[in-house]
Amino acid sequence: MNLLKKIKYPLLKGIDFTGLTFLSPVVRLAYGEEPSVQMKKIGQWIIIPIIAILLFVFSWSVVSGNIRTKSGTLPNPVETSQALNAINTFAEREKIKRDAYNLTGEERLKEIETAKARLAEIQPLVASRNEAVAKAKAAHAEVITSKTGPLRAKYDNLKASFKDAQAARKTALEETASTLQPGNKASYQALIASIKADIDATSGEKDELRLLKSDIDDAAAEKSKDVAKALYAQTKIAEEVQFLEKQIDQLTRDNRGEKIIEAQAKIDTETEALTALTGPEAFKKARTIARNEERLEKTISSSYAMPKTFWYQVRRSVLCVFTGFILGSVVAIPIGILCGLNSTFMAAMTPFVAIFKPVSPIVWLPICLIIASFYVPSPEDSGFMKWLWEIPLIGPYEINPAFIASAATVALCSLWATLANTALGVASIDKDHMNVARVLKLGFWSRLFKIVIPSALPLIFAGLRISLGVGWMVLIAAELLASSEGIGKFVWDQFNNGGSDSFAKMVVVVFIVGFIGLLLDRIMVVFQRLVSFEGGAASV
Amino acid sequence: MSFLELKNVSVGFGPSSSRVEVLRDINLSVKEKEFVAIIGFSGAGKSTLMSVLAGLQPPSSGEVTKAGKRMTGPGPDRGLMFQNYSLLPWLSVFDNIKLAVDRVFPQLSKSEKADKIHHYIEMVKLGHAPDKKPHELSGGMRQRASLARTLALDPEILLLDEPLSALDALTRSEIQDQILNIWETDKRTVVMITNDVDEAVLMADRIIPLTMGPGATLATEFPVHMDRPRDRHTLNENPEFMRLKSEITRFLMGLNQESKNMSKNQVIPMPDIRPKDFSLPTARPRLKNKTEQPTNPRSAA
Repeated sequence: MNLLKKIKYPLLKGIDFTGLTFLSPVVRLAYGEEPSVQMKKIGQWIIIPIIAILLFVFSWSVVSGNIRTKSGTLPNPVETSQALNAINTFAEREKIKRDAYNLTGEERLKEIETAKARLAEIQPLVASRNEAVAKAKAAHAEVITSKTGPLRAKYDNLKASFKDAQAARKTALEETASTLQPGNKASYQALIASIKADIDATSGEKDELRLLKSDIDDAAAEKSKDVAKALYAQTKIAEEVQFLEKQIDQLTRDNRGEKIIEAQAKIDTETEALTALTGPEAFKKARTIARNEERLEKTISSSYAMPKTFWYQVRRSVLCVFTGFILGSVVAIPIGILCGLNSTFMAAMTPFVAIFKPVSPIVWLPICLIIASFYVPSPEDSGFMKWLWEIPLIGPYEINPAFIASAATVALCSLWATLANTALGVASIDKDHMNVARVLKLGFWSRLFKIVIPSALPLIFAGLRISLGVGWMVLIAAELLASSEGIGKFVWDQFNNGGSDSFAKMVVVVFIVGFIGLLLDRIMVVFQRLVSFEGGAASV
Repeated sequence: MSFLELKNVSVGFGPSSSRVEVLRDINLSVKEKEFVAIIGFSGAGKSTLMSVLAGLQPPSSGEVTKAGKRMTGPGPDRGLMFQNYSLLPWLSVFDNIKLAVDRVFPQLSKSEKADKIHHYIEMVKLGHAPDKKPHELSGGMRQRASLARTLALDPEILLLDEPLSALDALTRSEIQDQILNIWETDKRTVVMITNDVDEAVLMADRIIPLTMGPGATLATEFPVHMDRPRDRHTLNENPEFMRLKSEITRFLMGLNQESKNMSKNQVIPMPDIRPKDFSLPTARPRLKNKTEQPTNPRSAA
């Protein structure tokens, strides 16, 4: 009880610190502090946003069905969450396949058993689901024929009657033409007028037919929810079957341990056979053994060629944005400090800041890409790249010229906010604090590190926060253009491959990118609060 | 035997065409280990005088000498205690004082420095709050921390620039006593600027009024012949205290009156215009002679 009381204020302070202020009435309510006030706040800051979100989801699902494109309708919330599931399932299955490739001994056998059991379990489902799809399609076709049948009949009737009417009009006109009296201008004019009327009537009839035809087409093209559901279920089971078969392959035929054993056995028998041979045959055999041994070495050090999963791409994007952000900050902060300290230097820098600040990432990226790929033409042969690939945590992300170019673009686009804020922070340092430095007769460096930088830190961090936000926005575009393995590339791949759920996956990306951006911003808010010294809240 | 001396110091600002002279011909000599109070109204140029003494503001003419040597620029030998504390807000009390100790005693070991810092913190009775940041302290505590930092410089001359003007009366008398205690146990030269006559009489050996600016200069000094330690509780019965207080107050009021008179005597020339009469013309026979027209009521008055 006492402990609970003790943590109340630290808890509230922590909530305030991280900017999650909507939680503070919940905590206060839990401690029984002014329940009516807290309930009001909860209503305003938690309930209302939730209602707003629900309203958004509702209107999204209503509107999405009406936005038809060549790639299907705009994905609705359900399809979007299904796409997220598909992304996750893919990532999980790839991980399982990779593990299966490396499994040996007891575990491998156990894994084979479970996989086979599961396969046997779902195998009958495949047929039933196929059947369900066929049934749904047939039912749907029936519905469509029942809808289009009368329309078609009407169409045929109309067409026939129009044809007759047209023929009748034609004969009437021809008759008029044959009874014309030369010289009578008025009768000729009347003929032309009635021919015009005939043309108009014919085209009106054609329009009517066209309208009816498009109605028929619309009815025929109507998608059935049942068919979509059945198809989704069918695809899901088919994918699982395919995955299980592949997993079993990885556990048996393609398993690394199995391959090693097999190769070793082959080498052993050949080595034995070799001892009985002499001359050219021995030479031939020995060469084969040597080659096989080399191949065995390769198998031992091999790994499953796992395709890049979405979460890998997300992590790589975050790594890339931080690389660019740090790169930019390392340049921006010292220059900003110099600008703030020395107005002459500021005057010299102003034109560059003014000119380069508005340049779009789309312009920087190709330039950076050309430079990066000039210095690192082939990453596999570059000592530096190989060294980077060996570093424990960032090694797996395979930094390459495209990554470097994306990071450099992020740096070039994001450093300006930090630069401007640092210069402002340093230039607006309190005169009294400078007087303290003068009375203490501090040297340049201790004045810089003890007075100038600490006093400018809150503004520097405000700039860094803006920079990181800008960087994250720029990065996705940069990755898309550079086709650097990351979120941007994921979007581009989805755009290009046009699978049934590609559109929904792109919508998933919208939310993921937004959520990560929010997270990055929160992190910077915490840092900003940590360095703000007046105890006042930094702006959220 | 004067230790700190100002000779014909003048300070002015602005271009020569519209130069404002804040201080004119200041001559001041302070003996070693003497406590001098400079008293004046706000805006008289007291803080400028302090900046000159500290070396933050170079005089336009004249010179500042310490022990006969001319001084240019600031330095830790003259510990300036700022009017608005000027503690570094991102550092704790301890670290603020450490800044001064690091500067003046760089050769000390870490623990010796810590001892020294705690010594000064105890001296100003902030022993309970060495790790507090300035924004967590009250005004009086901030001023005490600032005093500790100034003392930690171990300055030959202590310059106090209206150190207590921003504090409430109770805190003010408490810190006055602390400053006096510290000064009496470890005597050093002090120049204090204040606008409080009681404070000046209580603390100083000599009180020198600063006349009203612009062009402020030092007036005749009032020596304080009272025994130390002075007890603030019996002061009001001390005839010398009462005499000095009323004399100085009268002098200052006179200065104020003088400056007011000066501004009164300043004639501001008004533009020579006459209000136009917009009243509707009335049916009145026109006079032949223009000078006989009814005069404007304003000019008549």
